[in-house]
Amino acid sequence: MAIAKAERLMNLALCLLGASRPLSKRELRASIEAYLEVTSEEAFNRMFERDKDDLRELGMVLETVESIDGEIGYLARRDRNQLPPVTLDAEEAAALQLAASVWQQARLAGAASGALQKLRAAGMPLAEEEREAYSALEPRVPAGEAAFEPLMLACRDRRPVTFDYRKSNAVRPQTRQVEPWALECWRGHWYLAGFDRDRGAERVFRLSRIVGRVRSRAGSFTAEVPGQVAVRESVARWAGEHATAQARIRLRAGAGYPLRARATRVSAAAQEGWDELEIPYGHGLDAWLAEFGPDVLVLEPAELRADVVDRLRAVAKG
Amino acid sequence: MATTAIDRTRRMLSLVTYLKERPGARVEEVARAFGISPGELISDVNVLPMCGTSFRGGDLLDIDTDGEHIWWHNADALDSGTGQPLRLAADEATALLVAARAVATLPGLRDGDRDALLRATAKLEAAAGENAGASSRLSVTFESEGGVFADVDRAITERRRLRIRYYSPGRDELTDREIDPIRLFAVGHTYVEAWCHRSEARRTFRLDRVARIELLDTAADPPPVEPRDLSEGLVQPAPTDPEVVIEVGPGGRWVAEYYPHDTAEELPDGGLRVTLRTPDPATLRRLALRLGGDGRIVAPPELADSAREAARAALELYEQAERAEAAPAAAPAQRAGEPEPSVERA
Repeated sequence: MAIAKAERLMNLALCLLGASRPLSKRELRASIEAYLEVTSEEAFNRMFERDKDDLRELGMVLETVESIDGEIGYLARRDRNQLPPVTLDAEEAAALQLAASVWQQARLAGAASGALQKLRAAGMPLAEEEREAYSALEPRVPAGEAAFEPLMLACRDRRPVTFDYRKSNAVRPQTRQVEPWALECWRGHWYLAGFDRDRGAERVFRLSRIVGRVRSRAGSFTAEVPGQVAVRESVARWAGEHATAQARIRLRAGAGYPLRARATRVSAAAQEGWDELEIPYGHGLDAWLAEFGPDVLVLEPAELRADVVDRLRAVAKG
Repeated sequence: MATTAIDRTRRMLSLVTYLKERPGARVEEVARAFGISPGELISDVNVLPMCGTSFRGGDLLDIDTDGEHIWWHNADALDSGTGQPLRLAADEATALLVAARAVATLPGLRDGDRDALLRATAKLEAAAGENAGASSRLSVTFESEGGVFADVDRAITERRRLRIRYYSPGRDELTDREIDPIRLFAVGHTYVEAWCHRSEARRTFRLDRVARIELLDTAADPPPVEPRDLSEGLVQPAPTDPEVVIEVGPGGRWVAEYYPHDTAEELPDGGLRVTLRTPDPATLRRLALRLGGDGRIVAPPELADSAREAARAALELYEQAERAEAAPAAAPAQRAGEPEPSVERA
């Protein structure tokens, strides 16, 4: 099936690219065997429309031109379809090839290889031998959730979307109407920033919390898209990266290395076997401190201390 | 990875352009240039004779192969317009530009490589024209553990052993170990895969958990091991690992996002019952403590007990502290004038 379709698309592309004048649907049908084999007019029309969309997807610019006798013709203008001259040296080529390998998401991996193949056809050199990686590093971007691809396309085409979203502590998902601006992968997770229509404000969504399908909505964006979309800053704030105050804790000597690494001040506590630390106090610190169990004692603020004690009580009871 | 008809069509269009310039091209070399197997290439080449500007009048591409070389007998029949490389589609420009920008920000990247990447990015942006615009709607940040990264990268290149002090969150302890690094990779965070002489096994270390690093003059000599396949995810529990069952309320649903698990059943209250396997269940005590009222360990019972005990011991500390605070007179104030031994952090 896939071969038959690729073969048909190839023929359509070659016909359009080879012609120096607009070709009518009738002419195209007469030139492409796969179209002639479709006997129903309606089925052919549907197939033809889909094929045109697919060619646009792979980068072709197709124009429609109406002839004097009112017939629609399709034209792939050479200057608009041709890759402008681009000269890459072997080093640049190798760097791009390695960069392209970061994608594990099928659509992006396919698009990246497609781009490299076009550049290869345009003369991008191939190294004599498989080149050693340019650093020992092998960066990978995780494939992402089912919501990734529809959202990527919606961001690209600036199409509003609707999806069900479960906030991290919500029992049931809620339907959100969003104008998607940008996707960002941070710490191995994908996030979407966009304008939430019901809340009338910018929101950041984590893709793994989208439940079910992402649906496209008709119409265009109603809010202005900011020049810079700060996905990471919003997420970092929720991850407790932006401290709003300082906390003072007692930490058992030798324990809690990450707390020490974060501390702004470490000193020996009055009690032997303990250190005293000052650490930035942001969202989520209570849960983090609870993890250390009897190796941490919160001194202040009282509110943080109460939160940690609450967590510990719940566990002790469980 | 399944190739879609669109992927295949664009590959074949590029192939036509490529072959036109290279009569008698070697199968092996073309396959390498296109990043596909010789088998995939041959199957593309077998489709091409069915393609052309028209199936009438001998306009089909007369291309064949003997398995070693590819021959095109009527390359001149193809109009010059069909032989040109196609412009980059928006998705293609995005995929390549976003990847190049992300990789260029990696610390520890050799300067020459970074320069090559930046030059290539600028050329691509120019070549993609308006289609480069959409690439700003997608971005990837790799975590950067700068100093540690550079040392590990150098150790791999120079094949040297490293001594590291490494933090294991599950046990909340630092251990000193000598490792022979094998490779660095980034999936969210940056990791080094290495032969660990302390555990005499292959281990993966997260760079932001390396508290101290030292490049040794000893040559690294890791035993030959197959690199781990990362496509299945970083954490790949063995079927023989012990099973842990955790029940979480709505506020603990994130557990299913962070921990690779076998099953996650919905519970009537909007929570989940998560079943996972891990070689060392004791490390999940921390998770139980973090969850507080948002979840609990159901099995194994020893793990649930140890979490409860830890919580009780901690609560005991708070009670002691409160008793001490209630009776401040008992505490001698002799330390008041002493200089405090302190460590200031930058």
